[in-house]
Amino acid sequence: MVLDVTARNLAESDPEKQVLFSDQKKYFEIGRDMEGRMRYGAWQIKEIVDLTLQPMETQKEQFLINFDTDVENVEIEAVLTYFVSGKKKDVVYSIKENIAFDID
Amino acid sequence: MRKIRLLILLFVGAALMWGPVSLQAMDKEANTIDELVSMFDESSCMECHEEIHNQWSQSWHAQSVVSSLGSIHNFIEIGIKKEWNTEVTRGQLLKCLDCHAPVINYASEKLAVEIADMIVTATKEKGKPAGESAKKELAKLNVGCLSCHNLKALAVAPGWNGPREEGMIYGPHGEDAGDAHETLESIDMTRSAFCMQCHGIYTAADGETIQCNTLSGSYQNAYVAKGGSKTCQECHMDKGHMFPGGRDLDTVKQGLGFDLQINPYRHLPGQIKDVKDAKKWVPSAVVTVLIENRAGHRIPDG
Repeated sequence: MVLDVTARNLAESDPEKQVLFSDQKKYFEIGRDMEGRMRYGAWQIKEIVDLTLQPMETQKEQFLINFDTDVENVEIEAVLTYFVSGKKKDVVYSIKENIAFDID
Repeated sequence: MRKIRLLILLFVGAALMWGPVSLQAMDKEANTIDELVSMFDESSCMECHEEIHNQWSQSWHAQSVVSSLGSIHNFIEIGIKKEWNTEVTRGQLLKCLDCHAPVINYASEKLAVEIADMIVTATKEKGKPAGESAKKELAKLNVGCLSCHNLKALAVAPGWNGPREEGMIYGPHGEDAGDAHETLESIDMTRSAFCMQCHGIYTAADGETIQCNTLSGSYQNAYVAKGGSKTCQECHMDKGHMFPGGRDLDTVKQGLGFDLQINPYRHLPGQIKDVKDAKKWVPSAVVTVLIENRAGHRIPDG
């Protein structure tokens, strides 16, 4: 599962130049064999390193973003994507919010 | 004496008529997939339980072999043959198929090896006639009605439960099914431990551990340990015998909460590098994302 956080300057028309900030967090298990090697086969995996979201817990991710001094309007988007199997994925949640700054 | 023999004959005859035909010959071994499937013929179940059958038909239990061909193929070709350098046997194959198709326990050694070959063919020859033909045969194997309602019904606590009765249908309530079949209550089927037989670390007869997914470890050691009390069935039987899980977006959404909080502010001038005007206040924001795991196990898993 992947969390993507992106900040965009909507005053910019070029989509590539719109992106002011982006970061990603991944939640997954690393399966390893008895020699500590990362493995994928169910018969090979004997232990896991657990980087997943734990039950009955809320994971808090914080990002401190500094924009440029002339940025007035920013769209912040957070997207949570669940990888069902292999490359097949579903967007579970997506939230967009706009913020505005007073420029001196 | 004749009367007693006649009574016995009548009793056996009635049992044969009333009990699911599938369960009549569980002490023998099948030599073909069709023979194996007929030993555990579940076609009569849908005559009364049509809705449940329709739900199950859409579940991953209904395609538990053909949906996992790649993984089982890798176990056979890489695990058994290459890494372990050993023979493909029923015992080895059971490390996958005791869960993916429990009826395999009643396959002959010869049939088990043939099934392993079919799995390899279906994977290597995918899209070709030989591969598709093998896949069609393998699609007859799955986690069917009797996998749970008989074969695995008492297996969590065999000491306490005693031996499983061949020909018996086990259910959570033990409701009378009239003349169709006898039903015995198995409280085990309402408990998480029942699902954990397969949805957790599987320990084979020789002690080898197979870690397809580890939901039960997380359920026991994290969820229950933190005070969680729901069973697997309470969430994953929301849609009946479809048993939705990680492949069902609704279920994934139910298991996750998501919130975005933004705190905009202006940072002190002169402290942030590479801005256009170092004398100006710097537009800034603290973005907080909260992801709540409402499931009874780690996410992702399974």
